[in-house]
Amino acid sequence: MIRTFFRLVGQGFMGLCINPWAQILTLSAVVLVSFLVGLFLMAITTLDYQLSVVSGETSFQVYWRTGQNQVEIDEQWEDIKHLPGFLLSRTYTPEEALKEMENRLGHTATPRNFAFLSENNPLPATALLTFSPGVREYETWLKETSQYLWNLPGVERVTVTPLRDELGQAWRTVNTYVMRPAIFFLTLLLGLVVGNTVRLAFLGKSYEIEILQMVGAFNWYIRLPLLVCGAVQGLAGSSLALVILRFIHIQIRDVLNFPPLLMEIQFLTPEMTALMLAVPTGMGILGGWVGVKRV
Amino acid sequence: MIEVRHLSHSFGPHWALKDCSFQLQKGEFLFLSGPSGAGKTTLLRLLFAGIPVQRGEVRVAGFALNQIKDSAVPLLRRQVSVVFQDFKILPDRSVYDNVILPLQVRGLGRVHSDRRVRAVVRALGLDSRIHLLCGELSGGEQQRVAVARAFVVNPKVLLADEPTGNLDADLSFRLMDLFKQFQAYGTTMIVATHSQELVKRHPEAKIIRLEDGKITGANWPGAMLDNGLAGAPLNGFNTGDGYASGTRSLSLSRQANIRATMRQMGPDGAVERKTTGDDKK
Repeated sequence: MIRTFFRLVGQGFMGLCINPWAQILTLSAVVLVSFLVGLFLMAITTLDYQLSVVSGETSFQVYWRTGQNQVEIDEQWEDIKHLPGFLLSRTYTPEEALKEMENRLGHTATPRNFAFLSENNPLPATALLTFSPGVREYETWLKETSQYLWNLPGVERVTVTPLRDELGQAWRTVNTYVMRPAIFFLTLLLGLVVGNTVRLAFLGKSYEIEILQMVGAFNWYIRLPLLVCGAVQGLAGSSLALVILRFIHIQIRDVLNFPPLLMEIQFLTPEMTALMLAVPTGMGILGGWVGVKRV
Repeated sequence: MIEVRHLSHSFGPHWALKDCSFQLQKGEFLFLSGPSGAGKTTLLRLLFAGIPVQRGEVRVAGFALNQIKDSAVPLLRRQVSVVFQDFKILPDRSVYDNVILPLQVRGLGRVHSDRRVRAVVRALGLDSRIHLLCGELSGGEQQRVAVARAFVVNPKVLLADEPTGNLDADLSFRLMDLFKQFQAYGTTMIVATHSQELVKRHPEAKIIRLEDGKITGANWPGAMLDNGLAGAPLNGFNTGDGYASGTRSLSLSRQANIRATMRQMGPDGAVERKTTGDDKK
């Protein structure tokens, strides 16, 4: 039984050598469809990335606890300047913050003078930090920088700029209503085209299948080599498409990376890459399964 | 071994078979004769579950084809070999690969399979062609490959649909002689043909004549037909007019080959095959 199983799996591989031109055409069709879908997915990934990153800059507002030692805070501000992607900072000691508040409130405020607060200033030291981290591994950078700031001694709160929050919100909406359906649709398209291509390729084997059925072969015996053949075609086709995509990505990665676009073309995420491999392989197997009819 | 009762089959409004009944025991030989479109092929297709039974009852090798499940059809076809008029062999495979196919399907060991294939191929005079692609063979040789593939599994039943349709007279007679040789070892055979010459050469065989889907005549020793047609005149069939029957036209070496083949096939062979309850009917 096991020997028969391995013989049939071997037959599935050998089946790729029978009618090599037909196999090459089928493989080409799988590669072409996978490549086109991959291109669309790359465009979506790039758009996703650009929308989730404010072109060039990210700002943090850091608040220290009231009454912290200002000398220590000054040292921390110096250290922050050495963080990767640091662009500029605007820092406020509690005194500077009070003065700024006075200036901002101006004539509308009562009382007009906050001098009485200077002895017991309730305002904390704050810093508005602006970074230009670049687009590579943005998420990792964002996580690490946030963590660094949160871990500074005396820090009470860290926020990213409200502008980024709003952008994030907008992107989540777009992601829910546009991107996810688009990815689903493209994956479905990939599956249907690859599955049907493989199924049609097996129609050429219908005569052999009919003979096998006549001599008493069970369905699994007939189908196993076809499933292997379909899986190999799907996997090989999608892998080849990914290799071509990667090669093209390396060539065009920085084509749009100049001011004011500053857009780096992104390759597929690991999840999408896995999807690109799994769907054609699965549909190749399915194509092999439905390609067999009872005679 | 084969029991057909009140079998009718239609394709749309056209009745291809109408109320056919007959029985065959183990090792019996039946000619199914009649003009083209008489229903011979339909009857054969029904007997190997190529098409489902619509009306009537059919039992073949212990399988009730009225109720047979899809999953049991391969089991039936392991008992019933079929030789088609168009051979149904794989032209891009060698003679060896074509003949060994049913043994591979059954999961027989390589050594045992190899021995059986070579024995049958030798018996059919194809040993010098064993590694040639079937597409390179003549029509007669291809037909013999189809026969070899049918016999290599020692079937309980052999169905042949116009097996001599593509052969000249001499090859046809030789092929039928081969059938008779194998039949002598216990295989029940039904051969569909419209060749009266062929039927005349085998006066000992049972004959059913089909016309427009009906049994219109039969030569049926033992009166096993339900419809009272046993011994009905067959318009010149089976007249016992002196045609050589059986082995005389086979060379002595070929006859010896076949006997040796059946011996080599071992315990699964037709000679030693266990008798089923069905066979005892």
